[in-house]
Amino acid sequence: MSIQNLNTFDPFADAIKSSEDDVQDGLVHVRIQQRNGRKTLTTVQGLSSEYDLKKIVRACKKEFACNGTVVEHPEYGEVLQLQGDQRENICQWLTKSGLVKPEQLKVHGF
Amino acid sequence: MDDDMIFDPSLKKKKKKKTGFDMDAALASEQGESTSVEAPVESGDVDVPEDENLDLDNFGKKKKKKKKTFFNLEELESALPETTEEKPPAEEPEPQEEDLVDDLDLEIDFSKTKKKRRKKNLDELVAEEENNENQENAEDLHGDWVSTDRDYTYDELLERVFDIMREKNPAMVSGKKQKFIMRPPQVVRIGTKKTSFANFTEICKTLHRQPKHLLDFLLAELGTSGSVDGNSQLIIKGRFQQKQIENVLRRYIKEYVTCHTCRSPDTILQKDTRLFFLQCETCGSRCSVASIKSGFQAVTGKRAAIRAKIA
Repeated sequence: MSIQNLNTFDPFADAIKSSEDDVQDGLVHVRIQQRNGRKTLTTVQGLSSEYDLKKIVRACKKEFACNGTVVEHPEYGEVLQLQGDQRENICQWLTKSGLVKPEQLKVHGF
Repeated sequence: MDDDMIFDPSLKKKKKKKTGFDMDAALASEQGESTSVEAPVESGDVDVPEDENLDLDNFGKKKKKKKKTFFNLEELESALPETTEEKPPAEEPEPQEEDLVDDLDLEIDFSKTKKKRRKKNLDELVAEEENNENQENAEDLHGDWVSTDRDYTYDELLERVFDIMREKNPAMVSGKKQKFIMRPPQVVRIGTKKTSFANFTEICKTLHRQPKHLLDFLLAELGTSGSVDGNSQLIIKGRFQQKQIENVLRRYIKEYVTCHTCRSPDTILQKDTRLFFLQCETCGSRCSVASIKSGFQAVTGKRAAIRAKIA
Protein backbone atom coordinates (compact mmCIF):
# COMPACT_ATOMS: atom_id res chain seq x y z
CA MET A 1 0.00 0.00 0.00
CA SER A 2 1.40 3.31 -1.01
CA ILE A 3 0.77 6.50 0.85
CA GLN A 4 0.67 9.40 -1.47
CA ASN A 5 2.27 11.79 0.97
CA LEU A 6 5.38 9.68 1.25
CA ASN A 7 5.98 9.66 -2.47
CA THR A 8 8.94 11.71 -3.48
CA PHE A 9 7.83 14.76 -5.38
CA ASP A 10 10.23 16.96 -7.19
CA PRO A 11 8.92 20.50 -7.10
CA PHE A 12 11.42 21.60 -9.72
CA ALA A 13 10.45 19.00 -12.26
CA ASP A 14 8.63 21.54 -14.39
CA ALA A 15 11.46 23.99 -14.34
CA ILE A 16 14.02 21.41 -15.35
CA LYS A 17 11.79 20.07 -18.06
CA SER A 18 11.15 23.44 -19.62
CA SER A 19 14.81 24.30 -19.61
CA GLU A 20 15.57 21.00 -21.26
CA ASP A 21 13.05 21.62 -23.96
CA ASP A 22 14.66 24.82 -25.12
CA VAL A 23 18.24 25.64 -24.44
CA GLN A 24 17.65 29.27 -25.32
CA ASP A 25 16.73 31.44 -22.37
CA GLY A 26 16.41 35.16 -22.35
CA LEU A 27 15.93 37.51 -25.23
CA VAL A 28 17.93 37.48 -28.41
CA HIS A 29 18.64 41.03 -29.49
CA VAL A 30 19.01 41.64 -33.19
CA ARG A 31 20.52 45.04 -33.89
CA ILE A 32 21.60 47.00 -36.88
CA GLN A 33 24.49 49.42 -37.08
CA GLN A 34 25.28 51.86 -39.81
CA ARG A 35 28.72 51.83 -41.30
CA ASN A 36 30.24 54.15 -43.84
CA GLY A 37 28.09 54.85 -46.85
CA ARG A 38 25.00 52.73 -47.09
CA LYS A 39 26.66 49.73 -45.54
CA THR A 40 25.24 48.16 -42.44
CA LEU A 41 26.11 45.51 -39.90
CA THR A 42 23.72 43.16 -38.13
CA THR A 43 24.56 41.90 -34.66
CA VAL A 44 22.84 39.05 -32.86
CA GLN A 45 23.35 39.13 -29.12
CA GLY A 46 22.10 36.77 -26.46
CA LEU A 47 22.14 33.41 -28.22
CA SER A 48 22.60 30.61 -25.74
CA SER A 49 26.17 29.54 -25.13
CA GLU A 50 25.02 25.94 -25.54
CA TYR A 51 24.75 26.55 -29.26
CA ASP A 52 27.78 26.31 -31.42
CA LEU A 53 27.88 29.87 -32.72
CA LYS A 54 30.56 29.05 -35.24
CA LYS A 55 28.31 26.51 -36.90
CA ILE A 56 25.42 28.94 -36.87
CA VAL A 57 27.49 31.66 -38.48
CA ARG A 58 28.73 29.24 -41.09
CA ALA A 59 25.18 28.29 -42.00
CA CYS A 60 24.02 31.90 -42.00
CA LYS A 61 26.84 33.03 -44.24
CA LYS A 62 25.88 30.44 -46.78
CA GLU A 63 22.15 31.09 -46.47
CA PHE A 64 22.22 34.89 -46.70
CA ALA A 65 25.27 35.12 -48.96
CA CYS A 66 27.09 37.49 -46.64
CA ASN A 67 30.15 37.41 -44.50
CA GLY A 68 30.03 37.13 -40.74
CA THR A 69 31.97 36.40 -37.60
CA VAL A 70 31.59 35.46 -33.99
CA VAL A 71 32.91 38.09 -31.60
CA GLU A 72 33.68 37.41 -27.98
CA HIS A 73 32.55 40.13 -25.59
CA PRO A 74 33.30 40.15 -21.85
CA GLU A 75 29.79 41.21 -20.86
CA TYR A 76 27.52 39.90 -23.58
CA GLY A 77 29.33 36.66 -24.37
CA GLU A 78 29.59 35.49 -27.94
CA VAL A 79 27.95 37.81 -30.41
CA LEU A 80 27.18 37.08 -34.02
CA GLN A 81 28.05 39.67 -36.63
CA LEU A 82 26.74 39.60 -40.15
CA GLN A 83 27.41 42.01 -42.97
CA GLY A 84 24.47 43.94 -44.32
CA ASP A 85 20.92 44.31 -43.06
CA GLN A 86 20.12 40.69 -42.24
CA ARG A 87 17.58 41.40 -39.51
CA GLU A 88 14.63 39.79 -41.26
CA ASN A 89 16.72 36.95 -42.61
CA ILE A 90 18.23 36.06 -39.27
CA CYS A 91 14.87 36.26 -37.48
CA GLN A 92 13.27 33.95 -39.99
CA TRP A 93 16.19 31.59 -39.97
CA LEU A 94 16.44 31.37 -36.19
CA THR A 95 12.74 30.65 -35.81
CA LYS A 96 12.64 28.25 -38.72
CA SER A 97 15.57 26.25 -37.41
CA GLY A 98 13.88 26.15 -34.01
CA LEU A 99 16.83 27.67 -32.16
CA VAL A 100 14.83 30.64 -30.85
CA LYS A 101 11.14 31.15 -30.34
CA PRO A 102 9.60 34.16 -32.06
CA GLU A 103 8.68 35.76 -28.74
CA GLN A 104 12.30 35.59 -27.61
CA LEU A 105 13.48 37.69 -30.54
CA LYS A 106 13.80 41.42 -30.09
CA VAL A 107 14.66 43.46 -33.13
CA HIS A 108 16.18 46.89 -32.57
CA GLY A 109 17.04 49.69 -34.88
CA PHE A 110 14.95 51.59 -37.37
CA MET B 1 17.19 42.34 -84.10
CA ASP B 2 14.00 42.66 -86.11
CA ASP B 3 11.97 41.98 -83.07
CA ASP B 4 13.85 44.62 -81.24
CA MET B 5 13.26 47.04 -84.02
CA ILE B 6 9.59 46.27 -83.96
CA PHE B 7 9.30 46.42 -80.26
CA ASP B 8 11.40 49.48 -79.70
CA PRO B 9 8.95 52.21 -80.73
CA SER B 10 6.09 50.70 -78.84
CA LEU B 11 8.26 50.36 -75.77
CA LYS B 12 9.33 53.93 -76.08
CA LYS B 13 5.76 55.03 -76.42
CA LYS B 14 4.81 53.07 -73.37
CA LYS B 15 7.70 54.47 -71.48
CA LYS B 16 6.74 57.98 -72.43
CA LYS B 17 3.21 57.38 -71.31
CA LYS B 18 4.42 55.79 -68.17
CA THR B 19 6.67 58.65 -67.35
CA GLY B 20 3.72 60.96 -67.67
CA PHE B 21 1.75 58.81 -65.31
CA ASP B 22 4.66 58.23 -63.04
CA MET B 23 5.17 61.90 -62.50
CA ASP B 24 1.63 62.27 -61.31
CA ALA B 25 1.80 59.13 -59.25
CA ALA B 26 5.11 60.12 -57.77
CA LEU B 27 3.83 63.54 -56.92
CA ALA B 28 0.73 62.04 -55.42
CA SER B 29 2.69 59.50 -53.45
CA GLU B 30 5.09 62.15 -52.27
CA GLN B 31 2.21 64.23 -51.13
CA GLY B 32 0.73 61.21 -49.47
CA GLU B 33 3.95 60.44 -47.72
CA SER B 34 4.49 63.95 -46.59
CA THR B 35 0.92 64.42 -45.49
CA SER B 36 -0.10 61.20 -43.86
CA VAL B 37 2.03 59.05 -41.71
CA GLU B 38 -0.22 56.07 -42.11
CA ALA B 39 -0.25 56.17 -45.88
CA PRO B 40 0.93 52.59 -46.32
CA VAL B 41 -1.77 51.29 -44.06
CA GLU B 42 -4.40 53.25 -45.88
CA SER B 43 -3.43 51.89 -49.21
CA GLY B 44 -3.45 48.40 -47.75
CA ASP B 45 -5.73 45.60 -48.82
CA VAL B 46 -9.44 45.68 -48.41
CA ASP B 47 -9.59 42.35 -46.65
CA VAL B 48 -8.04 43.62 -43.42
CA PRO B 49 -11.14 44.74 -41.60
CA GLU B 50 -9.50 46.10 -38.46
CA ASP B 51 -7.20 48.46 -40.23
CA GLU B 52 -9.98 49.53 -42.48
CA ASN B 53 -12.08 50.33 -39.51
CA LEU B 54 -9.58 52.69 -38.09
CA ASP B 55 -8.84 54.21 -41.41
CA LEU B 56 -12.46 54.81 -42.17
CA ASP B 57 -12.65 56.79 -38.99
CA ASN B 58 -9.79 58.97 -40.01
CA PHE B 59 -10.29 59.14 -43.71
CA GLY B 60 -12.35 62.28 -43.62
CA LYS B 61 -9.95 63.92 -41.25
CA LYS B 62 -6.94 63.17 -43.34
CA LYS B 63 -8.46 64.81 -46.35
CA LYS B 64 -9.21 67.88 -44.37
CA LYS B 65 -5.91 68.06 -42.59
CA LYS B 66 -3.64 67.54 -45.51
CA LYS B 67 -1.20 70.16 -44.44
CA LYS B 68 -1.16 69.48 -40.76
CA THR B 69 -0.01 65.96 -40.32
CA PHE B 70 -0.61 63.95 -37.25
CA PHE B 71 -0.31 60.38 -36.31
CA ASN B 72 -2.44 59.23 -33.50
CA LEU B 73 -1.95 56.53 -31.00
CA GLU B 74 -4.84 54.30 -31.89
CA GLU B 75 -3.59 53.92 -35.39
CA LEU B 76 -0.18 53.49 -34.04
CA GLU B 77 -1.26 50.68 -31.84
CA SER B 78 -3.05 49.03 -34.67
CA ALA B 79 0.06 49.36 -36.74
CA LEU B 80 2.20 47.83 -34.08
CA PRO B 81 2.25 44.09 -34.40
CA GLU B 82 2.17 43.12 -30.76
CA THR B 83 -1.05 44.75 -29.71
CA THR B 84 -3.71 42.56 -28.24
CA GLU B 85 -5.67 41.00 -31.01
CA GLU B 86 -8.95 40.52 -29.26
CA LYS B 87 -9.65 44.06 -28.33
CA PRO B 88 -10.05 46.00 -31.57
CA PRO B 89 -12.99 43.95 -32.90
CA ALA B 90 -14.56 43.96 -29.47
CA GLU B 91 -14.32 47.70 -29.13
CA GLU B 92 -16.12 48.43 -32.31
CA PRO B 93 -18.17 45.45 -33.27
CA GLU B 94 -20.79 47.26 -35.25
CA PRO B 95 -18.65 49.08 -37.79
CA GLN B 96 -16.76 45.94 -38.39
CA GLU B 97 -19.91 44.07 -39.19
CA GLU B 98 -20.79 46.78 -41.60
CA ASP B 99 -17.43 46.28 -43.15
CA LEU B 100 -18.03 42.62 -43.37
CA VAL B 101 -21.28 43.32 -45.10
CA ASP B 102 -19.48 45.54 -47.52
CA ASP B 103 -16.94 42.86 -48.13
CA LEU B 104 -19.61 40.32 -48.78
CA ASP B 105 -21.32 42.66 -51.17
CA LEU B 106 -18.08 43.21 -52.93
CA GLU B 107 -17.53 39.51 -53.16
CA ILE B 108 -20.96 39.08 -54.59
CA ASP B 109 -20.26 41.77 -57.08
CA PHE B 110 -17.02 40.19 -58.14
CA SER B 111 -18.08 36.61 -58.29
CA LYS B 112 -21.63 36.75 -59.45
CA THR B 113 -21.43 39.59 -61.85
CA LYS B 114 -18.69 37.91 -63.75
CA LYS B 115 -20.26 34.49 -63.85
CA LYS B 116 -23.95 34.92 -63.56
CA ARG B 117 -24.89 38.23 -65.02
CA ARG B 118 -24.37 36.86 -68.44
CA LYS B 119 -26.65 33.92 -67.78
CA LYS B 120 -29.14 35.09 -65.19
CA ASN B 121 -31.44 38.05 -65.17
CA LEU B 122 -30.61 41.14 -63.25
CA ASP B 123 -33.75 40.75 -61.17
CA GLU B 124 -32.61 37.42 -59.83
CA LEU B 125 -29.30 38.90 -58.87
CA VAL B 126 -30.93 41.74 -57.04
CA ALA B 127 -33.18 39.32 -55.26
CA GLU B 128 -30.22 37.25 -54.22
CA GLU B 129 -28.40 40.24 -52.91
CA GLU B 130 -31.44 41.32 -51.01
CA ASN B 131 -31.70 37.90 -49.49
CA ASN B 132 -28.13 38.05 -48.40
CA GLU B 133 -28.61 41.47 -46.93
CA ASN B 134 -31.67 40.31 -45.09
CA GLN B 135 -29.77 37.42 -43.62
CA GLU B 136 -27.01 39.67 -42.49
CA ASN B 137 -29.45 42.17 -41.07
CA ALA B 138 -31.00 39.37 -39.09
CA GLU B 139 -27.58 38.58 -37.72
CA ASP B 140 -27.02 42.22 -36.94
CA LEU B 141 -30.00 42.38 -34.66
CA HIS B 142 -28.41 41.40 -31.40
CA GLY B 143 -30.42 39.81 -28.73
CA ASP B 144 -32.70 38.00 -31.12
CA TRP B 145 -31.57 34.77 -29.53
CA VAL B 146 -33.18 35.80 -26.26
CA SER B 147 -36.58 34.67 -27.43
CA THR B 148 -35.33 31.55 -29.17
CA ASP B 149 -34.15 28.32 -27.64
CA ARG B 150 -30.92 28.01 -29.56
CA ASP B 151 -27.54 28.36 -27.95
CA TYR B 152 -26.05 31.82 -28.04
CA THR B 153 -22.65 32.22 -29.56
CA TYR B 154 -19.67 33.87 -27.95
CA ASP B 155 -19.79 36.81 -30.35
CA GLU B 156 -23.37 37.57 -29.52
CA LEU B 157 -22.67 37.55 -25.82
CA LEU B 158 -19.63 39.73 -26.27
CA GLU B 159 -21.61 42.21 -28.29
CA ARG B 160 -24.32 42.25 -25.67
CA VAL B 161 -21.84 42.96 -22.92
CA PHE B 162 -20.30 45.81 -24.84
CA ASP B 163 -23.70 47.25 -25.68
CA ILE B 164 -24.59 47.26 -22.01
CA MET B 165 -21.27 48.80 -21.13
CA ARG B 166 -21.79 51.54 -23.65
CA GLU B 167 -25.28 52.21 -22.37
CA LYS B 168 -24.17 52.40 -18.78
CA ASN B 169 -21.22 54.70 -19.23
CA PRO B 170 -21.18 56.69 -22.43
CA ALA B 171 -18.05 58.46 -21.20
CA MET B 172 -16.03 55.35 -22.01
CA VAL B 173 -17.11 55.46 -25.63
CA SER B 174 -16.22 59.11 -25.96
CA GLY B 175 -12.95 58.41 -24.16
CA LYS B 176 -12.11 55.77 -26.71
CA LYS B 177 -12.67 58.24 -29.49
CA GLN B 178 -10.32 60.71 -27.91
CA LYS B 179 -7.15 60.23 -29.83
CA PHE B 180 -3.62 60.96 -28.97
CA ILE B 181 -2.40 63.23 -31.69
CA MET B 182 1.17 64.26 -32.18
CA ARG B 183 3.15 65.85 -34.90
CA PRO B 184 5.41 63.68 -36.99
CA PRO B 185 9.13 64.06 -36.40
CA GLN B 186 10.88 66.49 -38.72
CA VAL B 187 13.96 64.70 -39.90
CA VAL B 188 16.44 66.46 -42.12
CA ARG B 189 19.82 65.31 -43.33
CA ILE B 190 22.75 67.52 -42.46
CA GLY B 191 25.51 66.95 -44.95
CA THR B 192 26.09 63.30 -45.68
CA LYS B 193 26.77 61.80 -42.30
CA LYS B 194 24.45 63.49 -39.85
CA THR B 195 20.73 63.70 -39.40
CA SER B 196 18.81 66.43 -37.62
CA PHE B 197 15.65 65.74 -35.67
CA ALA B 198 14.28 69.27 -35.61
CA ASN B 199 11.21 69.06 -33.35
CA PHE B 200 12.78 66.74 -30.82
CA THR B 201 12.01 68.83 -27.73
CA GLU B 202 8.51 69.51 -28.98
CA ILE B 203 7.84 65.81 -29.23
CA CYS B 204 9.30 65.28 -25.77
CA LYS B 205 6.85 67.85 -24.47
CA THR B 206 3.85 66.24 -26.15
CA LEU B 207 4.89 62.87 -24.75
CA HIS B 208 5.60 64.38 -21.29
CA ARG B 209 8.97 62.70 -21.13
CA GLN B 210 12.40 63.95 -20.23
CA PRO B 211 14.39 64.75 -23.37
CA LYS B 212 17.28 62.80 -21.92
CA HIS B 213 15.22 59.64 -21.63
CA LEU B 214 14.00 59.80 -25.20
CA LEU B 215 17.49 60.71 -26.34
CA ASP B 216 18.95 57.68 -24.59
CA PHE B 217 16.35 55.44 -26.13
CA LEU B 218 16.80 56.80 -29.64
CA LEU B 219 20.55 56.54 -29.55
CA ALA B 220 20.50 53.06 -28.05
CA GLU B 221 18.00 51.80 -30.60
CA LEU B 222 19.73 53.35 -33.56
CA GLY B 223 23.13 52.30 -32.29
CA THR B 224 24.72 55.67 -32.88
CA SER B 225 25.77 58.77 -31.02
CA GLY B 226 24.22 62.19 -31.02
CA SER B 227 23.40 65.26 -29.00
CA VAL B 228 20.98 68.12 -28.63
CA ASP B 229 22.34 71.34 -30.08
CA GLY B 230 21.62 74.98 -29.27
CA ASN B 231 18.44 75.20 -31.34
CA SER B 232 16.99 72.33 -29.28
CA GLN B 233 17.24 70.00 -32.22
CA LEU B 234 18.75 66.57 -32.01
CA ILE B 235 21.73 65.79 -34.18
CA ILE B 236 22.21 62.09 -34.78
CA LYS B 237 25.23 60.57 -36.42
CA GLY B 238 24.28 58.49 -39.43
CA ARG B 239 21.67 58.72 -42.15
CA PHE B 240 18.12 58.26 -41.06
CA GLN B 241 14.82 58.92 -42.74
CA GLN B 242 11.66 60.23 -41.17
CA LYS B 243 9.99 56.85 -41.50
CA GLN B 244 12.76 55.13 -39.61
CA ILE B 245 12.67 57.64 -36.78
CA GLU B 246 8.90 57.26 -36.67
CA ASN B 247 9.27 53.52 -36.21
CA VAL B 248 11.60 54.01 -33.29
CA LEU B 249 9.31 56.64 -31.78
CA ARG B 250 6.40 54.26 -32.08
CA ARG B 251 8.30 51.63 -30.18
CA TYR B 252 9.21 54.21 -27.53
CA ILE B 253 5.59 55.28 -27.14
CA LYS B 254 4.43 51.70 -26.88
CA GLU B 255 6.97 50.83 -24.22
CA TYR B 256 7.38 54.03 -22.23
CA VAL B 257 4.34 56.24 -22.84
CA THR B 258 1.16 54.23 -23.19
CA CYS B 259 -0.10 52.41 -20.13
CA HIS B 260 0.46 48.69 -20.51
CA THR B 261 -2.91 47.94 -18.96
CA CYS B 262 -5.34 50.46 -20.42
CA ARG B 263 -3.18 51.89 -23.21
CA SER B 264 -3.92 55.45 -22.16
CA PRO B 265 -1.12 57.91 -22.93
CA ASP B 266 -1.80 59.78 -19.71
CA THR B 267 1.12 58.36 -17.74
CA ILE B 268 4.05 59.44 -15.62
CA LEU B 269 7.48 57.87 -15.75
CA GLN B 270 9.20 57.73 -12.39
CA LYS B 271 12.60 56.51 -11.40
CA ASP B 272 12.59 54.44 -8.27
CA THR B 273 15.73 52.71 -7.00
CA ARG B 274 17.38 52.41 -10.37
CA LEU B 275 14.19 51.13 -12.00
CA PHE B 276 11.78 53.07 -14.14
CA PHE B 277 8.10 52.76 -13.29
CA LEU B 278 5.21 53.78 -15.47
CA GLN B 279 2.34 55.19 -13.44
CA CYS B 280 -0.97 55.51 -15.25
CA GLU B 281 -3.10 58.53 -14.41
CA THR B 282 -6.25 57.03 -15.87
CA CYS B 283 -6.42 53.55 -14.41
CA GLY B 284 -3.87 53.95 -11.63
CA SER B 285 -1.80 50.96 -12.60
CA ARG B 286 1.91 51.01 -12.00
CA CYS B 287 4.37 48.76 -13.71
CA SER B 288 8.06 48.66 -14.29
CA VAL B 289 9.42 49.22 -17.76
CA ALA B 290 12.56 47.87 -19.32
CA SER B 291 15.68 49.89 -18.80
CA ILE B 292 17.38 51.32 -21.84
CA LYS B 293 20.41 49.33 -22.82
CA SER B 294 22.42 49.85 -25.92
CA GLY B 295 23.77 46.31 -25.74
CA PHE B 296 26.60 45.06 -27.85
CA GLN B 297 28.10 47.60 -30.21
CA ALA B 298 30.34 46.34 -32.92
CA VAL B 299 33.38 48.28 -33.99
CA THR B 300 32.42 50.21 -37.09
CA GLY B 301 34.90 53.04 -37.03
CA LYS B 302 38.55 52.89 -37.82
CA ARG B 303 40.35 50.66 -35.40
CA ALA B 304 43.54 52.66 -35.70
CA ALA B 305 41.72 55.78 -34.52
CA ILE B 306 40.29 53.92 -31.53
CA ARG B 307 43.69 52.59 -30.63
CA ALA B 308 45.15 56.06 -30.87
CA LYS B 309 42.44 57.37 -28.54
CA ILE B 310 43.12 54.74 -25.90
CA ALA B 311 46.87 55.13 -26.04
